Amino acid sequence: MQLTPTPDDHRIAWLAALAIVIHIAESALPSPLPGIKPGLANVVTVAVLIRYGWTAAAWVALLRVLVGSLLLGTFLSPTFVLSAGGALCSIIVLGLASRLPGRGLGPVGYCALAAQAHMAGQFGLAYALFIPHAALLHLLPVLMSAALLFGVLSGIITATMLKALPPQHHVPAA
Amino acid sequence: MTRADWLVLACLLAVQPWLYWHYWRDQGAADSAVITALGQAPQHVSLQHDQLLKVHGPLGDSVLEVQAGRVRFRASPCRGKQCIHSGWLSRAGDFAACLPNRVSVTLVGTVMRYDAINF
Repeated sequence: MQLTPTPDDHRIAWLAALAIVIHIAESALPSPLPGIKPGLANVVTVAVLIRYGWTAAAWVALLRVLVGSLLLGTFLSPTFVLSAGGALCSIIVLGLASRLPGRGLGPVGYCALAAQAHMAGQFGLAYALFIPHAALLHLLPVLMSAALLFGVLSGIITATMLKALPPQHHVPAA
Repeated sequence: MTRADWLVLACLLAVQPWLYWHYWRDQGAADSAVITALGQAPQHVSLQHDQLLKVHGPLGDSVLEVQAGRVRFRASPCRGKQCIHSGWLSRAGDFAACLPNRVSVTLVGTVMRYDAINF
């Protein structure tokens, strides 16, 4: 049996590779508080959502979490579970948001929503599975505010990036 | 930025203060403490009666002191003594832990919503 990859497959692979590089580079950054990180790989997810639609964005986000965890050695560890849960939540919320009528959302709205969903999902999982202690809830407001801040920032980055790309830019198929 | 973007941002910004209010508000004075230690059932202790409590952990005994509606780690066989530096706890929701010795204490209040409920 032979699988023939379509140009779409190649594009998703290229974009996922880009997201994975950002994901890994970011994991080397120190964080002031566990759970806070810029989430710059989300820039790729949202850019793909706007350019190529939700299915491609979901592939890119989930491939990033899977391959990123394999390369960082966290596959199936709690870190991976939290990361996958967050990515799943944010991709679901992005799917709902992209079905809005009219002009819908731009990069900033998408990124802010995705960041909040990612954090909420991740925090919910952490609380339900790993640390079901009331004291953990004290962290939630800080984490959500940080997520909103970084979400808006990565939204601005996404908007700038999309403007700089040529219209209907095609990632070269290998 | 589309109109929907502004709307989403406004909603998310509006939720933030609520989060701080909901999770950080003062929950009133505490009237009992729940002490948890490794491998032991949580122990509920009233803050009405002053006493010294010995809680056994992997490193030895942590000593908790209850006095005038407050509680603190008075001694613990750990190295950092961060539990002791947490000081007195008196508000519901306050929390201190000695991680090396696997002992923690959480305060609970009784700001009850109902005096009694029957069906």
